Amino acid sequence: MNTQRIFALARRVMRQILRDVRTVALLVFAPMFVLAIGAVLFRAEPARLALGIINEDAGVSLPMAGEMALGARIVNTLAEGNVFELVPLDQNEIDERLRDGAVEGVLILPADLSAAFQRERQVTLDLRLEGSNPSRSTLITARVTEAAMKTFAGLAASGALPGAGSAELPVRINATHLFAGETFDTLDFVAPVYIAFLALFFVFLLTCVSFLRERSQGTFERLMATPVNRIEIVLGYMAGLGLFALLQVAVILLFTVWVIQINYLGSLALLFVIVALLAMVGVNLGILASAFARTEFQVVQFIPLLIIPQALLGDVFWAIEDMPAHLQVVARFMPITYANRALRDVMLKGWGLAEIWPNLAVLAGIAALLLVLGALTMRREV
Amino acid sequence: MIMPIVTEQLRKHFGALRAVDGIDLTVHPGEIYGLLGPNGSGKTTLIRLLVGLLRPTAGLAVVLGHAMPNKATLSQVGYMTQAGALYDDLTVRENISFFAAMCGGADRARVDEVIALVDLQERAGSLVRTLSGGMKQRTSLACALAHRPRLLLLDEPTVGIDPQLRAVFWSYFRRLADDGVTLVISSHVMDEAERCDRLGLLRQGRLLAEGSVSELRAQAGTATLEEAFLRFAEGGNR
Repeated sequence: MNTQRIFALARRVMRQILRDVRTVALLVFAPMFVLAIGAVLFRAEPARLALGIINEDAGVSLPMAGEMALGARIVNTLAEGNVFELVPLDQNEIDERLRDGAVEGVLILPADLSAAFQRERQVTLDLRLEGSNPSRSTLITARVTEAAMKTFAGLAASGALPGAGSAELPVRINATHLFAGETFDTLDFVAPVYIAFLALFFVFLLTCVSFLRERSQGTFERLMATPVNRIEIVLGYMAGLGLFALLQVAVILLFTVWVIQINYLGSLALLFVIVALLAMVGVNLGILASAFARTEFQVVQFIPLLIIPQALLGDVFWAIEDMPAHLQVVARFMPITYANRALRDVMLKGWGLAEIWPNLAVLAGIAALLLVLGALTMRREV
Repeated sequence: MIMPIVTEQLRKHFGALRAVDGIDLTVHPGEIYGLLGPNGSGKTTLIRLLVGLLRPTAGLAVVLGHAMPNKATLSQVGYMTQAGALYDDLTVRENISFFAAMCGGADRARVDEVIALVDLQERAGSLVRTLSGGMKQRTSLACALAHRPRLLLLDEPTVGIDPQLRAVFWSYFRRLADDGVTLVISSHVMDEAERCDRLGLLRQGRLLAEGSVSELRAQAGTATLEEAFLRFAEGGNR
């Protein structure tokens, strides 16, 4: 082993990297960029949960403590924390308000609530949940249970109703879901975003690398010396790579549906259309990105700038509504946001084209915009 | 009769570097015009201006009657660079058909014809990746020919190939010129330049002299082209 040679090699490698200013800048700024987004998201307090309340509790007269309305007490406890925003509702508008997103859950406090509790020291509360986001459903259920337990503990402590919190399970929550439902497990809920992210990522890489190879092997210059124009090149690439993108989309979808056997509602064909549109966005984004890269290495550097933020901000792990306002603005520019929304609407809510077309229109618009930008930024002078 | 190439005070500057510094040249139909000059004299920049890959800083490059860059004109122009510029993972035939298609297309018979012209019949179905350097160079030439261009712009087409193949290439060039194709070929090799019908001597982005080999020798009053070049270069320095 010759240390001099190793030293010379190391020096050469360092020199090469330093000469690529962008790589150095990226080494410094890319982690900061990604960390900053993650930090903001992890710290962000979730927005208050909108909970519909139907309180029909008639209350009871207690021998020693006089009137007691358990329903009103639970509602007060729920209102105390900073968790819920309570919305009084009527029986007949439960599903309607859940559907239009005015509330994420509805707690029903029946007329005989206080009476039943006095009799049995145990109640079962009906909680109707929107259901398409399992982490929200779990959160709402847990917080409602917590508030009810706290109410009963308070009752027992005040002596108004001895033994109020003594039953093993004083509260049971009977949760029902408007969408999806109990047969859906966590995988079913994350599958839509998983599919979308994979499709976008692989297609982006495939496009970048094949486009960059055109430049590095010198054929791009030769291509520019023919009558073919830039929009034709972009469309040709889109068609050629698009075919493989569609093949990949089909593989991802069919594998998740048939092999992993996720539960989903809605039509498989519509899912294919959504992911295919997103894949087209990936192709066009790849073409655009390659215009700003000289080497394959520089293309890989676009991943922390273009792909990771989409994973963080595109409604994948964090709900957009829970993000700070400035990040919400960024999230609305992420194509994956719209794909995720459409996929969730179809897979978890069973919605059709009539409901999801605005998201598809945005996706198609983004794909077209990237196509034009890709053609405009393609450098003639290589 | 329109001239295949006419340039008027053609300039291309890259920052302070004047790669092409006011060139006026005329190329006649059906001739082999050699651009002769040392490395860095502006040959490649000039050819890239003629093919429209670069936009002139000033002046005019008129190719087949159209000011360049002009995409439509390129369907009648064949271009070949120093490096292979081929798709390694396609076959010889696929490469030729592809570039022909970009320029308006060539039928199978024409593709066979150019494959035969460059003597690659036996390797037509081989991946370019598996070819020798000389074969790649011949494939590259075939790619520039398949769409029957009226004008061929070849940037150092014989660089890095052995003398035998170089002679073969020149026989191709002569055959094309006999068929009425105009060729512009850059080179920094003097003995190659002697095979051209007319020459432009290039140095530091300027055209020192233009004419046939004998004209240039007579003009400089020297016995060889090499001496003539040096004589003109001295004149340019003064």
